[in-house]
Amino acid sequence: MEFGWTPEQDAHRARIRDLLTDTLPADWEALSVHGPGSDYQTDYSREFCKLLADHGLLVPHWPVSQGGEDMPVWHQFILGEEMWAAGEPRGAQYMNVNWVGPVLMKYGTPEQIDRYLAPVRAGEAIWCQGFSEPSAGSDLAALRTAAVPVEGGYRVSGAKIWTSYAGKADTCFLLARVPASEGGAAGKGGIVILLTDMRSSGIQVKQIPALVGEGDIHEVFFDEVFVPVENRLGAEGQAWEIINFALANERTGIARYEFSRRILDRAVIKLKDEGRWADPVVQDRAARALMLCEAARMLVYRVVDAKAHGSPPDAYPSVARWAVVQADNGVNDFLTEFLPDGLLGGDPVQQAHHQRAIAAGVASGAAEIQLNLIARRWLELPGETRR
Amino acid sequence: MNYELNGDQAGILAGLDQLLAAHAEVASGEAENYFHGARLDAALAEAGFLDIDRIDGFGSLDAALVVERLARLPQVVEAGASALIAPLLPSEPGIRPLALVSGEANRPARFLPVAKQLLVLRDGDALLVSLDGSTIEPVESLMAYPYGKLSSLDGLTVQSLDNAADIRRRWRIALAAEAAGCMAAALEIVIEHVRTRQAFGRPLGAFQAIQHRLAMAEETAQSAKWLAFRAAWSDGEADAAIAAGFVQERIARFTYDLHQFSGAMGLTLEFPLHLWTYRLRALAGELGGASTQARAAAQAVWGAA
Repeated sequence: MEFGWTPEQDAHRARIRDLLTDTLPADWEALSVHGPGSDYQTDYSREFCKLLADHGLLVPHWPVSQGGEDMPVWHQFILGEEMWAAGEPRGAQYMNVNWVGPVLMKYGTPEQIDRYLAPVRAGEAIWCQGFSEPSAGSDLAALRTAAVPVEGGYRVSGAKIWTSYAGKADTCFLLARVPASEGGAAGKGGIVILLTDMRSSGIQVKQIPALVGEGDIHEVFFDEVFVPVENRLGAEGQAWEIINFALANERTGIARYEFSRRILDRAVIKLKDEGRWADPVVQDRAARALMLCEAARMLVYRVVDAKAHGSPPDAYPSVARWAVVQADNGVNDFLTEFLPDGLLGGDPVQQAHHQRAIAAGVASGAAEIQLNLIARRWLELPGETRR
Repeated sequence: MNYELNGDQAGILAGLDQLLAAHAEVASGEAENYFHGARLDAALAEAGFLDIDRIDGFGSLDAALVVERLARLPQVVEAGASALIAPLLPSEPGIRPLALVSGEANRPARFLPVAKQLLVLRDGDALLVSLDGSTIEPVESLMAYPYGKLSSLDGLTVQSLDNAADIRRRWRIALAAEAAGCMAAALEIVIEHVRTRQAFGRPLGAFQAIQHRLAMAEETAQSAKWLAFRAAWSDGEADAAIAAGFVQERIARFTYDLHQFSGAMGLTLEFPLHLWTYRLRALAGELGGASTQARAAAQAVWGAA
């Protein structure tokens, strides 16, 4: 057991930081305030991800056969940590490299791999995930969007909601259900994953005005949208296994605490400039937020470490996610109380952090679901009810 | 970065577990606020587990692993101070147990009734007091440690030490490691309790209201453990203050919930929960409590005003 970085890991981190310093526009902080789904950031991500690809830093953790360098798990994580600290200039594309690509490599047909991975590798693809529905959010298995089997594929009808990046996405990782009347199995077994071209006829995207940033959440309506059968990922009945693999990759891939820590460091500089740092109450409260960030860091590192050792998946990511949500909110609470002007037009970066923090416990499924998972799968407490 | 034990660490803990298996029994008979493991204490000292930080090739993380493991036992032994603080002192190894107190020398001190030395940590310095010929007044309390008060320093050998900052840092690490072990043990028995105790026709642990709070308690215990081990590994000011401050801040909520889920049984001395929660509650107030550690962390990370 030891908690240091190897010289290679330090060099990798330094290389990423240098690239960020050399690359990000001088006014990046102000421009990134509108969030990763904004027009600006999405457009910039296409430019930035191409640059990352040119430097071998977009998919270095992917296998060599897929254009990566087989970089170790910790190298991938350090890349994500530095990107989050910088406000995630990869925008929506973090998703592609963290889980869309790995999921396709594991479950996709050779044709799907050829077709979809090339644009991801080049930094050109924007994906959205069509998971949540008006009546199926954290309770994902309750989804009702219908995929009716027809000759050569499926006709999809229904609605998705809270879909990030849908207004910009080329492809949707869409979950739908084959209706029982069409032979679909009940519950999770009836779900299919359809890699759906967002330019298909019958798709309508509507942005939802929200507190969490421009272009971040949408409603997506599907009206008899045809999806060819060759765009189905995995077999009918295999979707839940694929979703769990995807979510495990998604939930371990995001170093949100690093952005919170960076914002906290900035806040202290500001408090010092304002002559308020000598106040022991300010120091106390800042450090309590710091402790939450560092606790989250240690638990997320534990998840990454397990992955690096090739340990089988377990419920520990849920423990880490709860800590991450506490960290985001702890820092946000501190800033809201001690630097309120930042949310009154004074600090766009603080505002960007606030917008991410308020979504931290909701995005990717309610944090309370993580508590359920910790209770059942980690602490092995008895189930309350059975579905 | 590697969260798994290396070969040496695994060997130490395997050897420790072997020794502990031979001392598994807890004094039976009358219910007590704590059980001092005097025989175990002697066996640990003889086997060298409490001197691990002094051995070439080993260090403070190995000592913290031992402290955390010992804190999970129902019987209490003085390990944190001997394993992590004593190596900083001018006295020879083996003069122990070592009692600790901050501020005035005559405040109640953990392990003082069984100690050979008392370390008094003050603002700018520390005093190492040899307890030969001392008069110790036992302190009755709910806390699950033997506590005592020194009646006077008169006539005792007292050495002034100028490495108070190093002592404070190691104290924080020892506190964090010990609290992490107590949390793990306390949580384990409450989880077992809620799995088996039935109410309204089902186990207590099947109620979501309880599940969620136990899940949060688990996050606390896990965070406390890894922060403590990182602090022991780096032996740094910031990490030590963060680890101790975090766990002290969480102790109130953690112990409240665990007692709550144990019902009235949790208020008895028969149910062993108090053996750990009343160690935790004792540790919550050491070194000035969470706020002192928080301000120390703030200054270590961001500097003074």
